[in-house]
Amino acid sequence: MAFRDVNARRHIGLQQLSTLASTGRTFLGPMKSHKFIVDEITNQSTLICSAVRLIESLDLTSAVGQLLNETIQAQNKEFKTGMSTLLFLVGAWSNAVVECLQQNIPVPAIVSVMSEGLNSCCGRVQCLQIPIHDVKKELCSSRVRPKALESKTGQVGRHDLKNSWNLLCFQTDISATEEVIPINSCSHQGHDCNFNKFLVSPLAGFGSVASVVKAVGDKSSPTLSGSGVTAPSCIAQKLTHSRHFSTLGKSPFASQQGNFQGHLSGPAADLCGLGRLAVALSHGNQTSVKLLQSIAAYQQGRAECSGSSQVNLAEIVTCSVLGLPESYSCVSPGFVTLVSPEQATVIKHFADKPLRILLVDGDLTEEYRHLGFNRPPNVRTILEHPNPQGGGAGDAWPSRMSDVLMSFEVNLVLVKGNVCKNFMERCLASRILVIGCVARAVLCAFGSATGAQAVTYLSQLNTSCIGNRAWAELWKTGDGRAVDLGERLPARISAGGIPLLTAVLTTALPSKAQLLEDQFWTLLYRLHHALKDGKVFPGGGAVELLCLSHIQALAEQPERPGNAKELPSPWLAGCKSIVLQALASGWKRYLCVLLCNTATVSSELEAGAAVDHHLQKAAACGSPSAYILEEFRRGGVLRGGSEPFPGRVTDLKVCDNVVAKTEAWRRALDLVLLVLQTDAEIITGPRRNQILNSPVSSEFMFL
Amino acid sequence: MSRLEAKKPPLFTSKPLTRDAVSQSLSLLSGVLKSSYGPAGRLKQLHNGVGGCVCATSQSSALLGHLSVSQPVLRVLTASVRNHVSRFSDCGLFTAILCCGFIENFRSLNVAPFTVIQISKHLLSLCMDHLKSEACGCRVSVDFSSLETLVCLVRSILTSKPACMLNKTEVDHLTSLVLKAFVFTVPCHVETNAVLGKCVVIPVKGRRVVDSAVLPGLLIEVPEIQLGKPLPVKRTGSNVIKIALFSVSMSGDGSNPEEGTIVVHHGVSLEVSELNQLLSMGQQLVKDEVGLVLCQKVMHPSLKQYLKENGVVAVDRAGLSLMEPLRRVTGSQPIASIHSLSPGCYGSLKDLCIESFASKHFLHLIPEDTVICSLILCNRSETAWDELKRVCETAEHVLQLTVKEPLALLGGGCTETHLASYIRHKSSSLPASTFKDLGCSQTQYQLVADGFCRSLETVARSLSHDGEEVLTDMVYGHCWLVPSGSPCASKWSDLVSKCSCGVNDNTEDLSWSFLEGQSSTPILQGCPKEPSVKVADLRTLDCFAAKCSGLQVALETANLILDLSYIIEDQN
Repeated sequence: MAFRDVNARRHIGLQQLSTLASTGRTFLGPMKSHKFIVDEITNQSTLICSAVRLIESLDLTSAVGQLLNETIQAQNKEFKTGMSTLLFLVGAWSNAVVECLQQNIPVPAIVSVMSEGLNSCCGRVQCLQIPIHDVKKELCSSRVRPKALESKTGQVGRHDLKNSWNLLCFQTDISATEEVIPINSCSHQGHDCNFNKFLVSPLAGFGSVASVVKAVGDKSSPTLSGSGVTAPSCIAQKLTHSRHFSTLGKSPFASQQGNFQGHLSGPAADLCGLGRLAVALSHGNQTSVKLLQSIAAYQQGRAECSGSSQVNLAEIVTCSVLGLPESYSCVSPGFVTLVSPEQATVIKHFADKPLRILLVDGDLTEEYRHLGFNRPPNVRTILEHPNPQGGGAGDAWPSRMSDVLMSFEVNLVLVKGNVCKNFMERCLASRILVIGCVARAVLCAFGSATGAQAVTYLSQLNTSCIGNRAWAELWKTGDGRAVDLGERLPARISAGGIPLLTAVLTTALPSKAQLLEDQFWTLLYRLHHALKDGKVFPGGGAVELLCLSHIQALAEQPERPGNAKELPSPWLAGCKSIVLQALASGWKRYLCVLLCNTATVSSELEAGAAVDHHLQKAAACGSPSAYILEEFRRGGVLRGGSEPFPGRVTDLKVCDNVVAKTEAWRRALDLVLLVLQTDAEIITGPRRNQILNSPVSSEFMFL
Repeated sequence: MSRLEAKKPPLFTSKPLTRDAVSQSLSLLSGVLKSSYGPAGRLKQLHNGVGGCVCATSQSSALLGHLSVSQPVLRVLTASVRNHVSRFSDCGLFTAILCCGFIENFRSLNVAPFTVIQISKHLLSLCMDHLKSEACGCRVSVDFSSLETLVCLVRSILTSKPACMLNKTEVDHLTSLVLKAFVFTVPCHVETNAVLGKCVVIPVKGRRVVDSAVLPGLLIEVPEIQLGKPLPVKRTGSNVIKIALFSVSMSGDGSNPEEGTIVVHHGVSLEVSELNQLLSMGQQLVKDEVGLVLCQKVMHPSLKQYLKENGVVAVDRAGLSLMEPLRRVTGSQPIASIHSLSPGCYGSLKDLCIESFASKHFLHLIPEDTVICSLILCNRSETAWDELKRVCETAEHVLQLTVKEPLALLGGGCTETHLASYIRHKSSSLPASTFKDLGCSQTQYQLVADGFCRSLETVARSLSHDGEEVLTDMVYGHCWLVPSGSPCASKWSDLVSKCSCGVNDNTEDLSWSFLEGQSSTPILQGCPKEPSVKVADLRTLDCFAAKCSGLQVALETANLILDLSYIIEDQN
């Protein structure tokens, strides 16, 4: 065993943590900078834009690095959001704790004060939580006065297009909305093309041609026909609640409000709320929003039967299609996957025929045996009468198996694992479509929709295992074009009443594929957790600002006299104040970097001043939480002075997940405190001898 | 042709304890263990240095389990501590630190090892007699009819390991869960010999601690069950679910690890015949109205399919650790063969349902009357979960030990300092006949007794990690900690408010003094007094059985090591 003291004067572990965490600084906030990770040996590079991918790509062999990785992965697995916050706070808090150590504050005092301080903050910020059903109204009341709108529309031209295109898009939508009001008030039907383009996906960007309704409203899935109606209704509600139009007050449109609301029955309103919630949670990620709105619409429709109002993550898969512009991304019911040209030929041949489907939950190869099956090592097979005709033994299994499939008239086989190449070719020749590497969730969805029961071996087949009424076709884009990308073609496999949805993520840049997928899942998880929590936090630094002001109040508050059992020690009270300030400094740094990253201030110094200014205003107001909520309603908490931030979607309320955020804080602090309380690293196993003979052996002690 | 190599002669080391390498390693090990002791103990990051998983811990079982110790002397020490931990779960660090202390203190005495051993055994018997006597001032009786002492006992264990990363609310929540789980394991109808049940820990990592829960009965994780569908379980005429529990593999591979070769003719498939055997057994199970088939190992997919089609729920990969609880919950005999089924081997269950926690699905086995329960244990990170699991298991075990002997010892070092002051008092007033019986002089006895007491006090001093001063009082002999950085004060009573265990406070003058390692502590005039214990004041308690055993193990191991004159190592 080798043993190293990590606590010599300055805490090495905390320094390592802070160094590792500093790499993720630019991922904070909506304006994330991408990073290229270059492998020095292979010269391969990866484009990343999130803390998880960053940590994954770093070479983390140190113990602290491993713990950091474990923490980030745990947050990612559970929430898919909050990892950048976590990473940043780990760095900020480990720096702050090192400073406490330098002031000779005992470790237990740091641990208990910090963890109680965080606990107290998590309790305090509960008053900022906005219930989901309020979010609709909150977000609908876009308090942009006509004057403000005009002035901003005027600004558009002055802004650099690249920096402010979020704002630009949004404002384009607003002005467009204004123009189309008369049409809207006359009729919903028939104009949905216009509306969808501008309103259902208000942030879809300029290149967006594919409307939500079109993308989802596949001819062959009649369940979706309703969404063509709900979408424009949704717009109507948005407008009726809009303060902008309310201030116009006496317009003919306003007088018809009642009518519109009568038209909007429950589910449509809910869908509308979900759509807005998705926008608020998207933090400016436009592409995913429209996908989410489609998913919400579809699942809401189904939820009317089941009664659940949550986004079901298990019924969503993604498929990346390279070579199409991002605007073609959409959500398709069923399972979209990439197939080979040979498979595509079989699909074309199916036409509209209902297919008999088989699900296989292992590999489809001759050698495959179920997990846990150990081949007996001591069996020898002898052949007594060699048969000169039986030479093609390798061919026997594929032909036997395809015969089995044909005898049961199976047309479509979805396989969880790999498929033997020979067998695949033989099946394709007999017009049986076999698709390998299908996720478990997909098999389950097809199982419940078609009645098929997954088997492991084809020898298990009987008629009850086979499902009916599946169908397959080549996937088409929202505007009805078939996609021919050469090697691999997207195909869509579906069945009547299948709950499964595939988010087809198109991109022309292969390096962005992973990034888009990550962003999609992040947003989906955010929506899922928002619905699960039943509430959201106001975003844009509101919660952190309240934490800051709360900690300041805690630090100034004298020790409660009721706690007579503990000895009043002025020195310990001083410690407490220093440690609380250290905790607060994490959030302060967070807010400053957030401001810097959104390019609203030029330096961190300026950002610090802005944060202090808001803190003072909040304190002066008497009730910091009321001040912060009011600021949020006005369009954002940390707006610099009177001028709203240029380049930020200020009119759009940004929301954060409640549990994901507080859990990220807690995990970050837990990690820092865990490392803080560590005084030694013990290296076990064979590495001991290597260390013994290496130059660093003087740092170690050996048992 | 085989190559012959001359055997190396064994390595002979005489008087191992006098070697520098041994004493260095001993003091290093003792340093590692002392720095980990107590609720403020420092953690150690155990890892293999090449990117393997990291274990941050301050627990003796994890520390000693991972350490690869090369010194034979230390291996004796770690082995006996680990053996103690395997029997009592608790007080591992106490035992190890005390043992190191005994070795260090006794080694430096100029007294023959044999005499040291004789005297220290006598001192141990004095300690044990005192601990077992009614007049003992450092023990409290545990009242099972009220929760307070039990809560204190469990809380002390949960808070003693900082790597669990629990805050106050979480400690409270887990304390109640651990107690609830313990109550489930106590049989309702006690016959002549009551056997306590078992609490099975179900891991749910990545969730908040407050999401943890306890359920009576057993949970088995089932990955492939589809939610929303009611379980189609067959019940027998008497409305119970019949269970068959298999400990043999049903994967159909005919796993026979015996040597030798099986020769089969081409065209004969062993797999098919194995499968047929399995399927015919499946038919028998269906005929016998079995509703649930559980298998420790893997089940062949075809058998599963057959059972499912006949309305039998089949669950495989239960794992070895669940077999004993499964046997107790269902009352069935594990079936170890796929060739014969005796009707007496089936068990039964009252109900079966599906539970979901986090993203995991579980089959909940609900028996008629059970002493088995499941603790669904959540913690945010893998590292903290591992630590928490060990701590919760220790707490369950301590409660079981306590129900057999309803006593607890005052924690926070008070028991150690109290015992030390008792021994100091007692050893100064022994009759001369005792020394004669032991074959030693009174001076020798005093020297060894002093070393014994200092070793005990070393344990109490190990609770201080941040420069706190450790004091003891001259009346009760308890342990008091003064926070570091406290201002100078004329009276000790201005600096200390309560002793570590919380029983005594600073209202009367207890004439405190430093608990120094080297200069001997002044001897009490009388026997240390027994304080009046108010349960509400108690801050921390230790397990009586585990600490008594720890004391004995530490001394016996130290004596064994002191007695070593040669180490003979085979170098081949």
